[in-house]
Amino acid sequence: MNIKTAFSVESDIREAVADIRQQLGGFEAKMLVFFASSIFDPERAARLMGNAFPDAVTFGCSTAGEIVSGRMLNHSVVVMAFSRDSLNGVKVEVLENITTGNPVDKAFDAFEQHFQTPPAAMDRKKYLGILLIDGLSGAEERVIDRIGDLTNINFVGGSAGDDLKFSATHVYANGKSYTNAAVLAVLEPAGPFSFIKTQSFSPLPQKLLVTKVNEAKREILEFNHKPAAIAYAEAVGTSVADAPNRFMSNPVGLVFEGDPYVLSPQRIMGDSMHFCCGVKEGMELNLLESTDIIADTKKALEAARSELAGISGIITFNCILRTMELEQKGQSDKYGELFAGIPTIGFSTYGEQFIGHLNQTAVMIAFH
Amino acid sequence: MAGNIKRLIDTIVTQRAHGDKILEGTVKIKLILKGIDPKNYTAQSDDDPVVMGKLQEMINEYKLNTE
Repeated sequence: MNIKTAFSVESDIREAVADIRQQLGGFEAKMLVFFASSIFDPERAARLMGNAFPDAVTFGCSTAGEIVSGRMLNHSVVVMAFSRDSLNGVKVEVLENITTGNPVDKAFDAFEQHFQTPPAAMDRKKYLGILLIDGLSGAEERVIDRIGDLTNINFVGGSAGDDLKFSATHVYANGKSYTNAAVLAVLEPAGPFSFIKTQSFSPLPQKLLVTKVNEAKREILEFNHKPAAIAYAEAVGTSVADAPNRFMSNPVGLVFEGDPYVLSPQRIMGDSMHFCCGVKEGMELNLLESTDIIADTKKALEAARSELAGISGIITFNCILRTMELEQKGQSDKYGELFAGIPTIGFSTYGEQFIGHLNQTAVMIAFH
Repeated sequence: MAGNIKRLIDTIVTQRAHGDKILEGTVKIKLILKGIDPKNYTAQSDDDPVVMGKLQEMINEYKLNTE
């Protein structure tokens, strides 16, 4: 597949876009995905990228750090350009007012019209979806759940970031910037593709059954019919006061056939616990313990490389909590190096989408 | 009555996955994320009307056949 990446660390967005345009040279892109640091004005970033590549479908979002082949970056713009022959089709739709409305169905009407196939009948081996969503909207679960109702194709993606300011995050499409919004893209790649979901946790035997929850607030009131904070602290083997120190290394997860779907605690408020993603009453969760991000990611990449018989490009959505852990352990360079030699772009997210809305996970699309 | 929840879950999984084993897993995870864990229901499970209502709503939404 003919994929080219570029990045710029120029601090002025006009210069950064010019730099990227120069790196891509005469490459005729059909689609261009970009992730831009929140240091850049979102309106200008979207407009300048759209203007610089008028013949391409452009979309992207703001970040909490960027990833490009071999490197983890900050305050940069990273771009992946797809040639005309690498995609049989692409259609991008913007969902606005995601916190109150339900714009997903309308977007899927547009996908059906464009691809002349009902979304429910789309072949998961022929099409894939990308979801980029306002990372402060709290609407991820509702959007991805509705997408999952409408189609069997895989939608993966990330929640836009703003370099840990938690002030405003933006998604971009065709020259415009949006907040309280999501961008959905359906791609029909010309060649094979695969998905990677990797998280560095293994399930522990301690079970936490969600017995009382405030779904709208992503708040668990009770685990195992006990105040959530007390039950969690008991499971971890520490005090409630110390429990937040264990959140990074001991989140909880839905475990399906041995594979954890990680849900990260955010804070304790009184006896209840707030999470970074939604939890339903009746869910049986396992306490998780952290493993080695570098070794696990390396293994996941090797498996994908073997499955696809070579990778020509990766788009990765890497949880900001993983990025922070890598920074704390001095492993950021080592992590970036895992992607050396593979055209890669990605960003540090405020949440990852893979079937559901997850945390502390890296989700990737790998193109043959 | 018992076992109808499992029957409805099987209908959803079978008809949405069309025999694709990977899709079967995906459909089950989607159900778990909606708060209904297929492994918790057997042919002997009581017919909880709330859970059955949720599943029937999905079956109608997906336009599945329950005959």
